[in-house]
Amino acid sequence: MKSKLKLSNLYLTLVFVIIYLPIAYLIFYSFNTGDTMDRFTGFSMKHYATLLSDTRMISIVLNTVVIALLSALLATVIGTLGALWINQLKQRTMKNAVLSVNNVLMVSPDVIIGASFLILFSFLGFKLGFTSVLLSHIAFSIPIVVLMVLPKINEMPKTMLDAAYDLGATKWQTLSRVILPSITPGIFAGYFMAFTYSLDDFAVTFFVTGNGFSTLSIEIYSRARQGVDLEVNALSTLMFLVSLLLVVGYYLLEKYGHTRKINRNKMMKGPNAQ
Amino acid sequence: MANPIIEFKNISKKYDDNPVLKKIDFEIESGKFYTLLGPSGSGKTTILRMIAGFEDPTSGEIEFEGHRIDLTPANQRPINTIFQDYALFPHLNVSQNIAFGLELKKMNKADIKAKVAESLRMVQLSGYENREITALSGGQKQRIAIARAIANEPKVLLLDEPLSALDHKLRKEMQVELRALQQRLGITFIFVTHDQEEALALSDQIFVMNDGRILQSGTPVDIYDEPINHFVADFIGESNIIPGTMTADYLVHFDHKDFECVDAGMRADEPVEIVIRPEDLDITDLDHGKLQVTVDSQLFRGVDYQITGHDSDNHEWTINSIHQTTVGANVGLIFDPEDIHIMRFGEDEETFDARLDSYEE
Repeated sequence: MKSKLKLSNLYLTLVFVIIYLPIAYLIFYSFNTGDTMDRFTGFSMKHYATLLSDTRMISIVLNTVVIALLSALLATVIGTLGALWINQLKQRTMKNAVLSVNNVLMVSPDVIIGASFLILFSFLGFKLGFTSVLLSHIAFSIPIVVLMVLPKINEMPKTMLDAAYDLGATKWQTLSRVILPSITPGIFAGYFMAFTYSLDDFAVTFFVTGNGFSTLSIEIYSRARQGVDLEVNALSTLMFLVSLLLVVGYYLLEKYGHTRKINRNKMMKGPNAQ
Repeated sequence: MANPIIEFKNISKKYDDNPVLKKIDFEIESGKFYTLLGPSGSGKTTILRMIAGFEDPTSGEIEFEGHRIDLTPANQRPINTIFQDYALFPHLNVSQNIAFGLELKKMNKADIKAKVAESLRMVQLSGYENREITALSGGQKQRIAIARAIANEPKVLLLDEPLSALDHKLRKEMQVELRALQQRLGITFIFVTHDQEEALALSDQIFVMNDGRILQSGTPVDIYDEPINHFVADFIGESNIIPGTMTADYLVHFDHKDFECVDAGMRADEPVEIVIRPEDLDITDLDHGKLQVTVDSQLFRGVDYQITGHDSDNHEWTINSIHQTTVGANVGLIFDPEDIHIMRFGEDEETFDARLDSYEE
């Protein structure tokens, strides 16, 4: 029994090592004094210095983050409303049809989505750049949000909505006071998923971005084609740290969601006690 | 009946041509405890949801205090519901749950606070204001659901099998409390259940339903002692139901013998069914018995023994007795004339009540 456990631990460790080894390798060489990853010649922060003085790179990072935040936000709003709409569809076949259309977007290759957006935008005579990237990111994020929110809606007992209505709530009050608070975890999860999908999207962005606008993945790709620059390593290291912080932040936020509820109750207690 | 608070007029309901209520007519008086009793699928919950406003009748009218109400949406009716699964809002704490309806009415904060405290006192959970719903036990959730409903001061409170998720002991306690609460508040309660024992214990009036119809309405005692037909007799309590014929008024024939009874008003030699409750039968020796049966089985149930036996016609008899007997023994059964209740085939409630009135003064 004990040796079996050890074996499974060993396996897990091995898997993680294999997954993280390339990243560790990349981070390690970001501190190299030399300009290649052939040989580690000594510790230095010079690649980080180059990165911080590279205004083009910094503006691209900002672009990427703005696109991710904004597209995730809009996709969350649209996706949540969409999930609510799908949920209240009475006809079973209609519901399944809409869900299938939603899921097809999830499984279809990014390249095809990107190419089709490019065709659409060129057909409409739309100028490629920030807006086209933003719109396409919103579009491919919506199905993700729908898939994250829908289970939460289904989990909600139907009698809860009846109860709200019974206690005098209008449709709108039921939505804002009962439905939305109940599905908040799903909405948050949807937002974070949409955010990460947007952040690391390459294929779709590659098609719909135009002259003068670029995101991180596109920039790193084009730089890597000209031979690996250790500035990219430095950037990747920072990005990795940021992702790590985001994950930690997400967990803290989830925990905070619970404690906030308790705090709010304490606050309720305050004025009551007076 | 003077000034009914709720009146169903010729209500029918169909789901895709599948009738669930068939021309229902009834009146509900203010301030009483009513129970809709029936097996699942009998339409009792549909009636409740119609009163609440969650379902519309396919045809017919519902009146509330003399005005038509079936077109008023549920959130504007002075009626609240207690749901089977309590339907509390898990993202709100106890006081926020109870205050939900009051906040929507734009009541001021001090009044809400007082009302929440009062409602909690009513359900004996004072001081629970800041508890989380997830931290409550089933019985406590049940009480909070009641507190949330009564805080709105409804004129009618609807209860949809509210006790079915509780264990036996807690259910008994809650029955007593519900009854006391109803009498204290004076609100009309309409309670839905499939548990006949619960219905008998709680109600002023019971409507026994089956297959989309109200078969019989009356006080628990009326319904228990004088069930209108085989279904009601079988559904409410335990009963021995034996085919027989009416020889004359106050004389019924079954098991090759004539027995004195207290029912009348039927045709001579009309085929009927007779009902004798198991607790009305007493075991005696063979010669003294009005009937002779052979004991087939005996079950000890704590308060009594449930004894089953069969007579020479192979009719099964159930006897509830505090005295033990022997399996395989031949024994006599005695009962009084008033223990026999006669049911005619296909008699409707109106003729049944009229016939009973004609000889019961």
